[in-house]
Amino acid sequence: MNTTLHSGYRKKGLKEYFQFREIPILFYIIFIVIIFSILIDGFFSIKNFENISRQITTIGIVSVGMTMVIITGGIDLSVGAILSFAINIGGLGISLGWPIPVVYLVMIGLGLLLGFINGFLVTRIAVPALIITLGTMNIYRGITMVITRGIYITGISSSYQIVGEGLLPFMFFLIILAIFVFITLRTRFGRNLFAIGERGESALYSGVPVNKYKVITYVLSGFLSAFAGIILVGKSGFIQPQAGMGYEMGAIAAVVIGGTSIFGGSGSILGTFLGSLFMGLILAGLTMLAVNPFWIGFITGFLILVAIAVDSLRHRRKDYSGG
Amino acid sequence: MNISNKAKTFLVLIGVNVTIVILLTILSPTFITYGNISAVMSRMSELGMLAIAETIVFISGGFDLSIGAIMALSGAVCGMLNAIGLPFGLVLFISLLVGLGVGAFNAFLIVNLRLQPFIVTLATMSIIRSIVYAMLKGSVLTGLPPGFLDLGYFYIFKIPFLFIVLIVTGIIISVLLKNTIIGRKIFFVGGNEKTAYLSGIHVGRVKYLVYCLSGLISAMAGIMFVIRIRAVIPDAGLNAPLEVVTAVLIGGTTIYGGKGSVFGSLLGILAMYLLLNGFSLLSLNPFWEVIILGLILIVVVGQKSISESLRRLFPSRKTERQVQVKPETV
Repeated sequence: MNTTLHSGYRKKGLKEYFQFREIPILFYIIFIVIIFSILIDGFFSIKNFENISRQITTIGIVSVGMTMVIITGGIDLSVGAILSFAINIGGLGISLGWPIPVVYLVMIGLGLLLGFINGFLVTRIAVPALIITLGTMNIYRGITMVITRGIYITGISSSYQIVGEGLLPFMFFLIILAIFVFITLRTRFGRNLFAIGERGESALYSGVPVNKYKVITYVLSGFLSAFAGIILVGKSGFIQPQAGMGYEMGAIAAVVIGGTSIFGGSGSILGTFLGSLFMGLILAGLTMLAVNPFWIGFITGFLILVAIAVDSLRHRRKDYSGG
Repeated sequence: MNISNKAKTFLVLIGVNVTIVILLTILSPTFITYGNISAVMSRMSELGMLAIAETIVFISGGFDLSIGAIMALSGAVCGMLNAIGLPFGLVLFISLLVGLGVGAFNAFLIVNLRLQPFIVTLATMSIIRSIVYAMLKGSVLTGLPPGFLDLGYFYIFKIPFLFIVLIVTGIIISVLLKNTIIGRKIFFVGGNEKTAYLSGIHVGRVKYLVYCLSGLISAMAGIMFVIRIRAVIPDAGLNAPLEVVTAVLIGGTTIYGGKGSVFGSLLGILAMYLLLNGFSLLSLNPFWEVIILGLILIVVVGQKSISESLRRLFPSRKTERQVQVKPETV
């Protein structure tokens, strides 16, 4: 358990940032890059890597928020629905001719609000976060569909696409990663998230404001989902009500592949970055090998199973054998 | 105390159902016609089957998100094998077996690898749905034997055949849960897994049974769905996790395990389908359905936790909490 909770804030060099659990995933990444480079012409090229970096950005940003939530022992199934809600409802302002900063602020505000609703419900209602966010996911998505009536928002001015140009999305991703690596490793709030996930009751008795911190993780998750939505609008140039479908699966996959325990209490933002990179490389490689996109769900599910199985073997709870 | 609580849940549910019926009768002239009522009965049958499956899993303290995907898979297998030209009895048998197999696979991951049920079934849901899409390539399969499909138009005493299948399954599972040793073991495992294990119950075997049953019943639901809509569609049961989990929780089954009843879940599904029927009769936007389901889900689980925290606040009701330990199951 020492790998999960560091003692104090003292500097430990690289060791602190790269926990043991991230090393294997780094090897998997190198391994599949080699395999795909041999199999596919043009896989190992700047152009392809630029493409992949653009592709992983949106789900990657969502996964960062998901990591925080999962570290505290929760889960947020509503990330894709929040993304869609934020850009579609905020996008109504585009047709009303609102200035760009206002539209962006509204989108972000909606993300924060929906995240807060999640956090509020999860902490007030003694029911697993899975059930709550299953409910809110459908409420948010339903409201989006009712308000938009399934209609796309097109004809968006090109200034909205600035954030989606070239390597800019990936830059945003890297900045967010840096901020959240800092938060999780260097702030009292971040360190306490691990304590909450490891043993919530002890954390509470040690004076950690458990509920407040949990609410903050959901708010952050909502914020990052809305931010990812803004980048998605920038990349695609239109807004569709179905945006963000299945993002919760992709994000959970990236998080658990990155070594974050689904039981809470351990994990890292860097691991999640590697997890989303791994997913992105696999999906890109399979697309280039002309594998039917129907199989994406299969691969995502399979990778989730492998990742949690590895995690479970690592955690081997000693209480008793259930089987 | 426990029994009166349960009776209260049932009474509330029956009251809700009656209220919806009265409201809809007033609001829509077509509601209380035989055609409409029997349509609601057929329509709720496959979701009702899934609710039975989920109830068993919930009672055992587990979670199964893959029921909707298993439903789609068994339908797809049924359509594909029929297209190949296998004898239809064998086709049905294999379709059911596939459901059972997926259930066993879920159980293997949950029991032998000791993974969390909800994340396992979230993953298998994604895997199975993906397989269904790849099998059907997004298309709709037809050409099933007409004699088989006509079961959807088959009535016994003016009650749709599919609904009778649902009720019979409900009764069988109810008896299994309440009146057999294995059923009581399922309750026990859900109530306190560790105690059950220490009392000499094969927790793993019980869980295998639970998930296999869930898979099998979901596969039956898939075949009933094919009968009802007379075709195989890849999106079968797409919303099932939300609808079923909501109905089961409304019906008084808890996600913590050890408590619940098939009867309650079926009343929950009935209330839901009456409500949905009302939406379509009053021609509201169908997406209101998911919004209202989501709200009901949160209100129902929220209201339970509120009343539980109230109970904790008033020590005079302490006896109620002690009864929940379920000494009668031992």
